[in-house]
Amino acid sequence: MTQVLIVEDEPDIRRFLRLTLAQDGWTVAEAGSVSLALAEAAERRPGLVILDLGLPDADGSEFIRAFRTWSDAPILVLSARSQEADKVDALEAGADDYLVKPFGVAELLARVHALSRRRLPRDMPEQALIRFGETEIDLARRQVSRAGSPVKLTPIEFNLLVYLASHPDRVLTQRQILRAVWGEGHAGDSHYLRIYIGRLRQKLEADRTRPRHLLTETGVGYRMVL
Amino acid sequence: MTSNLPAACTRPACSYAAAVLACLVTVGLAWPLADWIDPANLVMLFLLTVFLVALRLGSRPALLAAVLNVLLFDFFFVPPRLTLAVDDVQYLITFFVMLAVAIVTGQLTARMSQQAREAVLRERQAHALYEMARDLAGTFSVKQLAELTRSFLRQTAGIESHLWLPDSRGRLRAEGQSPDGDVKLATRAYERGEPVERLGPTGAGPGTAFLPMTASGRSFGVLQIDADVETLRRERPLLTAVASLAGIAAGRLHYAEVAQATQVGMESERLRNTVLASLSHDLRTPLTALVGLADTLALAQPPLPPPHGETAQALRNQAAGLAKMVNNLLDLARLAAGGGMAPRKEWQALDEVVACAIEQLGTALDAHAVEIDLPEDLPLLEFDAVLLERVLANLLDNAAKHAVPGSAIWVAARCLDDRVEVTVSNEGPGFPAGLDLTMPFARGGLRAGYGLGLAISRAIVEAHGGRLQLENPPEGGARVRFDLPLGKPPVLEEEAA
Repeated sequence: MTQVLIVEDEPDIRRFLRLTLAQDGWTVAEAGSVSLALAEAAERRPGLVILDLGLPDADGSEFIRAFRTWSDAPILVLSARSQEADKVDALEAGADDYLVKPFGVAELLARVHALSRRRLPRDMPEQALIRFGETEIDLARRQVSRAGSPVKLTPIEFNLLVYLASHPDRVLTQRQILRAVWGEGHAGDSHYLRIYIGRLRQKLEADRTRPRHLLTETGVGYRMVL
Repeated sequence: MTSNLPAACTRPACSYAAAVLACLVTVGLAWPLADWIDPANLVMLFLLTVFLVALRLGSRPALLAAVLNVLLFDFFFVPPRLTLAVDDVQYLITFFVMLAVAIVTGQLTARMSQQAREAVLRERQAHALYEMARDLAGTFSVKQLAELTRSFLRQTAGIESHLWLPDSRGRLRAEGQSPDGDVKLATRAYERGEPVERLGPTGAGPGTAFLPMTASGRSFGVLQIDADVETLRRERPLLTAVASLAGIAAGRLHYAEVAQATQVGMESERLRNTVLASLSHDLRTPLTALVGLADTLALAQPPLPPPHGETAQALRNQAAGLAKMVNNLLDLARLAAGGGMAPRKEWQALDEVVACAIEQLGTALDAHAVEIDLPEDLPLLEFDAVLLERVLANLLDNAAKHAVPGSAIWVAARCLDDRVEVTVSNEGPGFPAGLDLTMPFARGGLRAGYGLGLAISRAIVEAHGGRLQLENPPEGGARVRFDLPLGKPPVLEEEAA
């Protein structure tokens, strides 16, 4: 899990990533294009990929789709602000998180650490209990409690919470969540999501206006931090 | 013979005279024959004359010829000749049959020939209309269209006309030489899509008709016809046809213009986006390297000796500041380019955007407590979350920069009638007098940085149909107040709990 693949065409950005990650204890492999990246990935089997979306030979999302056919390793996407559509594409192709350029060492390491400590397997956790903050989700009995006292959730609220909590530290797009919780027919009903997230925050966050666990990724989707 | 009569003889008096002449010529021709031919056969000659008169001169001259011929026949050829007296009573039957046949054939012939003439005229008009339609299809300007229509009416029907066409603001203007027409009547015809007429007090003499040029259910202009009232009545079908042909052509020109404007707009928008995207990429790439590398230097292990460490830290801060400024400049370029952009509106929760804006600012807000006062039952609002997050981040950033250190910053929202009002306020010196938001590069106070962020925020709020105002409340500090329209959020199907 200590092998990282950096896919970025700009040598100076690659240099900064290499310095930072090497100091953090990673073995770094680098590629400047999608085709080179796929070759490197096949050879080195990285435990983490950091991927720029604008590459000279193809779109970064193509790398994600190809890589995802054989690897579950987390992918962190680097993108410019105001490219929400590109981020959503990359996330729906299988990326886990994104970082907006420009970013500093601290932001980069925070994302990298969150992704690398992510529990495996990728989706549903094995354990029957998920805890975050004062909240505890009992998956077997479909019960939620906060600071020891039970919290009443509707079936959809519960399903939404479990879906988010079982994909921690990962950005889920609105469409991914709507499909998983409400079904294919509601993939465009983002207002459902807004209202239900609001209700969950009301019930589970200490301050609904400053959430610590159910985080919004503006224009993209949501991220659950346990 | 009579068939050689000039066809131009159209005035009534002239055609009666010609009919009389024809009858006299018949007498002249029959006179030398009278000795050898039986009078009953001479009748045929007279009937032929009536027939020819009817064919050439119409029904009334034919009637005159019929009566006159009976009298002339009686006078010159029925014994005793050269008197109207009749020896043989049998001739009365001849007269009666002659008169009846002459009248009937005369009337029938006249009507048929009249119909034939009209058919030819209609045929000619239809052909001319067809040619006009063909010519109109080739026009590429309203000026040309007006010229074609006018010359067509002048040549085909000898009618003077003018065109009224709407200008860019939808007001009618006379095309070409200004007619002494009435813009009020023309406008009435244009707006109602119905013909309007102005006649003299007697209902005869010169008049003016305003015919709307309609096509696919709307008017594209008005055709003004100046002619005498009878012509207006008689030529109405032709005029209506011309007006609608001109309408179709004007409609085609109008829609072609609209389509072209749209096309140009789309092209320039695509170009603008491409330029901005590549500019954004080209500016951000070196900045990302700069921020990252300066950061690695500042955090290097083992740490750099103090003076170098401080230099690295300063480099990092400057690079981060530059990155923020570039973001703002690109936003402004995107907002200002080509008259603004359309926000990608969705139904959003305001509290989410406030939280994200605070999150985005990170350490910039460390010196201040942000107090959020949002009603719990605030409905969803329709806005572009990415843009509104930028508004709030800019306003909070400004508020923090200009506040007394350690003081609080407030974000509050409340519902008014049909709007939600959001305020961001701080404790500090307030806005400097004369801060002009319309000048994006205006700077407020001694410390830099108001102008651009406020200008961007204002542009975004206005693109959402709201207003952004600055104020210095009496209790001190600075306050930015903006509002967003309260819409009708989509209904949520509640689950059976």
